[in-house]
Amino acid sequence: MSWRGEALAVWAVVVRNAIMASRNVFFFFELLFWPIVGVVSIGFMTRFLALTPAQGSFVLIGTIALSVVNVCQLEVAYAVLMDVWSKSIKHQFLAPIGIRHLTLGSWLVGIVRGLLVFILVAALGGWAFGFRVLEPGLAAVAIFLLGCFVNAWIVGVFVCALITLFGNRAEAFAWASVNLVLMLAGIYYPVSVLPDSAAAIAKAIPLTYFLDAYRSHFGFATEFAAPITTGLVLSAFYAMAAHAAFWAAIQRARRTGLLLKMSE
Amino acid sequence: MSSLAPSLAIDARDVEKSFRSGFTGTRRTPALRGVSLVVPRGIIFGLLGPNGAGKTTLLSILSTLLTPDRGSVRVLGLDVVREAAALRRRLNMASGRPSFLWSLRVAEIVAFYGRLYGLSGRALAHRVDSLISEYELEPYRRLPYNELSTGLKQRVALAKSLVNDPELLFLDEPTLGLDPDVSVRVRAHVAALRERGMTIVLTTHYMREAEELCDDVAFIKAGRILAHGTPDALKRQIKLGSVIALRLDPPAVPWLADADGVLRVTADADGWLECVVDDVEKRLPVLLRQLVGDGVVIRNVQVREPELEEVFVELAR
Repeated sequence: MSWRGEALAVWAVVVRNAIMASRNVFFFFELLFWPIVGVVSIGFMTRFLALTPAQGSFVLIGTIALSVVNVCQLEVAYAVLMDVWSKSIKHQFLAPIGIRHLTLGSWLVGIVRGLLVFILVAALGGWAFGFRVLEPGLAAVAIFLLGCFVNAWIVGVFVCALITLFGNRAEAFAWASVNLVLMLAGIYYPVSVLPDSAAAIAKAIPLTYFLDAYRSHFGFATEFAAPITTGLVLSAFYAMAAHAAFWAAIQRARRTGLLLKMSE
Repeated sequence: MSSLAPSLAIDARDVEKSFRSGFTGTRRTPALRGVSLVVPRGIIFGLLGPNGAGKTTLLSILSTLLTPDRGSVRVLGLDVVREAAALRRRLNMASGRPSFLWSLRVAEIVAFYGRLYGLSGRALAHRVDSLISEYELEPYRRLPYNELSTGLKQRVALAKSLVNDPELLFLDEPTLGLDPDVSVRVRAHVAALRERGMTIVLTTHYMREAEELCDDVAFIKAGRILAHGTPDALKRQIKLGSVIALRLDPPAVPWLADADGVLRVTADADGWLECVVDDVEKRLPVLLRQLVGDGVVIRNVQVREPELEEVFVELAR
C-alpha cells in the first residue's frame, strides 16, 4: 500500500472513532466523570491523611497516569470492541485494512482524549489541591505522557488480541487490564514496597519506569538507573509483542471462524 | 497450483473446512468436504442449499474471511490465503443481516469504507453521493444506522459493498427479511450490476430469486456440491419431468396415476390435478385421448416446466 493509502486507512479509523466518541454518552463518562471522581477522592484522601505536598504529588501522579492510560487504552481497544458490539467486525476485516491502521488510528484519537483528560485532571488537581503538574517542565511532562500513551497502546492492542482470540468473553479485560498494570507499576506507592515477586513483575512493566522518572522531579529518589531509556526499550519490546499477538489472534480467528461468529 | 484462465472469477479445488467445537475444542464439525467450483467472470452465480449446508462457509473462504483447511482457492487469479491483502481491494460483500456501527450516519458509513479502499476528497464525496442516490438513501443520509428500517439497512449494506467498485461481489441472502417491493428493487439493482460486468456470487433461500437472477447455480448440501449448472440444465439433470396440470370433470380419475409415463399425480385444493410426466410431448396427446375416450370433460390444461424450487427440494431430500 502507498503512503497515501496508509495515511487514508489510518485517517478512516480516526474519523470513525472520533465520530463515535462524540455521539455516545459513555465516552463522556470516560472523559469527565471517572477522572474527576479519581482526582477529587484521592485529593481529599491526601488531605485526610495529612500527606506532605510531595507525598500528595506522588499519589496524584498515579491518579493522572491511571486516568490518561485508561482513557487512551480504551480507545485503542474500541478499534475492535465497537465492531464486536455492533457485529460489524467482518466488514472491517474484509476491507484492505491492517492492524497497524486500526490501532494507530484509534491510538491517535486516544491521545487526543488522553490529553484532554490530562489537562482536566491537572487543572482540577492544581485548583483544588495545589498540585503543580507542569512544575517539572514541559519536557518531563511530555516524556511522562509519551510513556502513558505508549503503554496505553500496548495494553489496548493486547486487549484487542484477547477479544479477537476469545470473543465477547474477553471484554472485561478492556476495563480490568489497565488497573492490574498500574497496580503492579506502583500507582500510589513506590514498587519497592511490593512483595519481591510482584516487584519483579513491576520491573518488567515499562510504565513503572516512566512513573519513577516523573516522580523524581518531585523530590523522590529514582529507584532505577536510566528509567526513561529502560522504559522506552521495554515499550518497544512490548509494542512488537502486542502487534504480533494481535496479528496472530486475527489469523486464528480467520481459521476458527470466530470473525464470522462475532458478526452474527 | 492450478492455472487460472483470465475468464475465471473463482477456481476452487477440493476445499475442506471444519470447525472445532465442544468445551475442549476436540470435536470437529466438517462444514465443507472437498468442494470444487469454477465460476466464470461477468455472471451471477447462485449458491443454493439448506441451512447449515456450508454456503456461508464457502462464501467466507472465497472472500478471505475464513482460511480453508485444505484445497486451493484462487479468486480473480489470486490465492485467497497468500494474496488475501491484494484480493481484498478487488472484492466486497453485503449480507442479509447487515450491521454497522450504531451511531454512524448513512453517509458516514459509506465514507468510512470508501476511505479504507483508498478514496478521499472529491472522489470520495462523489462516490458516496452517487451510491446514496443510486440506492435512494438521500432522505436518510443523516440518520444514524440504528434508526434505519431493515430495508434501509440492507440498502446501506449494498451501497457500502459497491464503494470500491468491486470486480467480484458476494451477496449473502441479500433479500432476507425484506418486504416484497423492496426485494424486487434489490433484485433489479443486482441484475443491473451484472450489466456493468461485475461478477456476483449470491446465496439465497428464495429459489425464484435464484431463477430470476442467476446464470449459473450450484446446490450445496452437507458440505458437498451436489449439482452445478444453469437452472435449466439442472432441471434436466435432475429429471424431475414436466407438469401437466388438468382441470377435469369429474375431478378425480383413478387410472391416471397408473398411466404410462406418469410419475406421480397430486390434487390441489382448487381442483387441479398435477401429473408429473417423463416426456410431455409424448404423453400429453395420449393422456388427452384417453381422458376424452373415458368421457371425462377437460375444462383446462396447462403445461409447465418444474421450478428450481422443486429441484432444490429433490436435492435437499
